[in-house]
Amino acid sequence: MSQHDRTHHAKIATGKGDPQCFKGMAGPAKFKVGERVRIKDLPDVFYTRCQVYTRGAIGEVAVVTHESPAPEDEAWGHVDHSEWFYIVRFKQKDLWPEYPAAFANDTLQTEFSERWLEAV
Amino acid sequence: MSSSTREQVLRHLAAVAEIQPPVQKTGKAPYPTDITHELFRAYTRSPHDVGGEMDVPCEWTEEEHEAWGHRAYVTTECLAWRGAWCAEERRRMQNVDLGTTQYLGLPYYGRWLLSAARILVDGHHVTLTELINKIDEVKKRHEPAR
Amino acid sequence: MVEEVSDFEALEIAVRELSIEKGLFTAEDHRRFTEFAEHIGPTPAARLVAKAWLDPEYKKLCLTDAIKASLAVGVDWLNPTGFGTPSDYTDLRVLEDTPTMHHVVVCTLCSCYPRPILGFQPEWYRTPNYRRRLVRWPRQVLAEFGLSLPAEVEIRVEDSNQKCRFIVMPVRPAGTEGWTEDQLTEIVTRDCLIGVALPRPGMTTNIPLPVHQPAKPAHH
Repeated sequence: MSQHDRTHHAKIATGKGDPQCFKGMAGPAKFKVGERVRIKDLPDVFYTRCQVYTRGAIGEVAVVTHESPAPEDEAWGHVDHSEWFYIVRFKQKDLWPEYPAAFANDTLQTEFSERWLEAV
Repeated sequence: MSSSTREQVLRHLAAVAEIQPPVQKTGKAPYPTDITHELFRAYTRSPHDVGGEMDVPCEWTEEEHEAWGHRAYVTTECLAWRGAWCAEERRRMQNVDLGTTQYLGLPYYGRWLLSAARILVDGHHVTLTELINKIDEVKKRHEPAR
Repeated sequence: MVEEVSDFEALEIAVRELSIEKGLFTAEDHRRFTEFAEHIGPTPAARLVAKAWLDPEYKKLCLTDAIKASLAVGVDWLNPTGFGTPSDYTDLRVLEDTPTMHHVVVCTLCSCYPRPILGFQPEWYRTPNYRRRLVRWPRQVLAEFGLSLPAEVEIRVEDSNQKCRFIVMPVRPAGTEGWTEDQLTEIVTRDCLIGVALPRPGMTTNIPLPVHQPAKPAHH
């Protein structure tokens, strides 16, 4: 971390923005809108932005958002690899056992990098 | 003044006991077989990941922040602007590395400030010695005259 | 007279002075970013919604390229660094409410928020309490803010946990027929843009809440 080039991000992102500066780096997206996916329960030692409350749940890809380094890598300044990111939508009743049946239409959506998703 | 420092030391030792988790009562580390899978997960979780935890209805409030808090926010963004770190490194250091006790116990911008201090040292931009000496010098600069 | 400083103040001064001494940023950088931070607020986001209510083509742009749509309300997400603010990124998404769907935003992991177009978060948005409860008990939390919706309306919680940033585009309320953009902008409050309130004629302020005052406030 100590010797890294502090001008690197400004060089690649000026005029473009972030995450736009990572566009094209992740290759083809593995999942598409409408696909059902399950959230993997990978070990979350030291750092994760994949919320534990989503682990093992099944949802539907709502939006394919952008390419970016995964936060688990970016949190240590590693930006060489990018993944596709997806907003996945869940029915609240599938997340919480006590969610009232009266509100069966309620949903929740949140965003995942590709490593956290598996096809159902 | 040596007596007020000694008083501070004794108050500190009492305060530390207040924020220890109850499991430390016995004063020795637990045996590995005492740590179930659930406990392991709870201890090693990312403290910022609070979604779905139990809590109670509270009075919602707004807060106007201390001037130092606004300045600390700007400092963390300037450190990222000029490449000392990126926002995700800051979030890791500020919201997870601090650990649950500091995470829940410190003011919001207090954590931003601590993480900014941390990246100066972890990023090898200053030695801890330099940081200690600077804090000491700033405090002395602001001591009321005796 | 020399003023005593708190532990936090002393550390803030030390960190800023060391950063500048070591060339990590300049005093001018700090001043420029401070100025940027002092001038952001919720009006541009409110105006984006008002414009979208009045212009179907602009609404489409808001829903497909909100960063581009932001320019029309004076917000260039690349400011002030040329590549965006480090914490807010440059991927804004607008969540369109319908008569049968209402959105509400939270960041359970920290307090991610679209600062360049909406200003700073209210303190309650940053609390572990809001972040713990909104994702699991959204109707209860919304009721505490005075918002109760019928069961037929789907409540969709957006947990903003990565680089995307979100504002809610509420349904244009009845009683605003013939209103100007300025009039509509006035009733789209910050609370409406987060999703804890619905806009209505005559409501031009956020829900009044107690405000904790600092010991040493910033002077503008």
